[in-house]
Amino acid sequence: MNKIAFTARIAAAALAAATGIGAAGYNAAAQSPAANAKAAPFSPPRLPDGTPDFRGIWQARSLAYIDLEGLRPTGAAQQSTRSAVVDPRDGKIPYLPDALKQRDANFKNRVTADPAANCYQAGVPRAVLLPTPFQIVQSVGNFAIVYTDNHAYRIVDPQSLPHDDGIDFFMGDSRGHWEGDTLVVDVIDLGDQTWLDQAGNFHSDQLHVVERYTMLNAKTISYEARLEDPKTYTKPWTIRLQLYRDTHPGARITEDECLEGADGRWHHVSPFDPKALLRHDYAAELAAEAKVQAGAPKP
Amino acid sequence: MTARSKIVVIAVAALALFSLRVVPLSAQAPVPAPSQPAKPPITVTVASAPDVSGAIPRLPDGHPNFQGLWHNDVGVEALRKAGLGDIHSPGTPLPFPYYPETDKIREYRDLHDPYHDPEAHCHVPGVPRIIEQPSSIMPFRIIQDEQYVTILFEYVHDLRIIPEDGSSHPKNYWAWDGDSRGHWEGDTFVVDVANFNGRSWLDMDGNFVDENEHVVERFTMTGPNSISYSATVEDPTVFTRPWTMHLNLKRNPLTDQIVYYDCHEGERDVDHYTRSEGNAASKHE
Repeated sequence: MNKIAFTARIAAAALAAATGIGAAGYNAAAQSPAANAKAAPFSPPRLPDGTPDFRGIWQARSLAYIDLEGLRPTGAAQQSTRSAVVDPRDGKIPYLPDALKQRDANFKNRVTADPAANCYQAGVPRAVLLPTPFQIVQSVGNFAIVYTDNHAYRIVDPQSLPHDDGIDFFMGDSRGHWEGDTLVVDVIDLGDQTWLDQAGNFHSDQLHVVERYTMLNAKTISYEARLEDPKTYTKPWTIRLQLYRDTHPGARITEDECLEGADGRWHHVSPFDPKALLRHDYAAELAAEAKVQAGAPKP
Repeated sequence: MTARSKIVVIAVAALALFSLRVVPLSAQAPVPAPSQPAKPPITVTVASAPDVSGAIPRLPDGHPNFQGLWHNDVGVEALRKAGLGDIHSPGTPLPFPYYPETDKIREYRDLHDPYHDPEAHCHVPGVPRIIEQPSSIMPFRIIQDEQYVTILFEYVHDLRIIPEDGSSHPKNYWAWDGDSRGHWEGDTFVVDVANFNGRSWLDMDGNFVDENEHVVERFTMTGPNSISYSATVEDPTVFTRPWTMHLNLKRNPLTDQIVYYDCHEGERDVDHYTRSEGNAASKHE
């Protein structure tokens, strides 16, 4: 079984357990724009200046982080999911011919070629879709999104402040404005070194993302991202899914750091894992030091 | 070379230049012999006089408004004034109250093992090292509401989301930056930091803490553009007694902003270490 399929199965099982419904049905519900549009308009909680209050810990409980175009059934027991791509309607990313070849090559080499395998920051919109939660930190005039994954963060400064154009960042450069109660975030400077998911879907340094965050109710945000990249896609395309609030009292973003393993590869270490704790044995350290110094040539 | 890798190179070069000998600030108290307990607290400082001009801004909840972009005043200038150029020469006493055994570890790391400075591997620095960073070139931004004081650092995109409710530390959680819990004492924001994972160094000279580190930080706004900061560090398995570090934080001009710092993603600092500094050896660990 390939790695992605395995991950997908675990995630699907966890998702089903958490929500009580199948992953496929869940995704279908999340991707119905008509349902969103017809829902009674929700007036979100607000900051003193009237802007919608998005503060809290949020999480995309979808499998889109594995493959934006939906999981492909590769075995008898493997279930498929629908694409997160809502435009174009076929759910396929409109790659240019060469880019499609590159995506397929990425897919073949994904276990080692995925930048995330090196514990790099995820980029946008991938960071939003990850199974780890993120926190929106907000006050009057300030808006930041703090991701668990690799302690990446984005500051969403007002659109009136020009982009920092000309330098690429893993998490890009974000500027926001409000359209009614929807936060619209314009992201550029994303570089060409991040992927969009675990399946090798990618972009060039020309990527321009426009995200739309709309609170559907106190516990749900509708998230939409439109990706435009003339070097990679024939036309702009859009993903849409929902983000869910973590309602556990006292919920916190936890630290996510990677350590280099003996094999030279980096791996995430949970702060809840006792292996993350280094207990110092100073007698042993001194003995090791003495050994090194005894064997070291004199200067 | 892409623009991104350029900025990383610039940032790493600048970091090497400025942070090589940034801490541990100056010694104002002699080093106590470990056999003589109950000495007065050790205080190290290079802080300039705090700016006390003008009323401090406040949020609707009445607390001082720390929001904005800040840097510490531990700049090259301050270090030069404090005469820190020589303080780390081998054999020079350090202000930290080590036990003899832990001081030997410190010395070994300083002289023979700089490769294993966690910052060389882009790990988050821990507390208080993150505040000591040369933030005059890499500032940090504070966003504050009635629940959290959030600090977003330019340096290695480190961050701290500090609750203001004085809640207690979790159990079975060990992190590079520990776990921060804040509360207000009048106009001072007091942060208790514990749950460290025992891996952090305090600077590039091998000064270090272990898993028993406990820090109490105090942020006091002395004027609209100035915060007085202190950190009292205790670690009973490394130091004979607690010590306190003072510095001032200054507000950056309104035109300044965070320039995202991708460290691990373009990391090449470890390549600068020689074989004797552990680079080659580490490949076989």
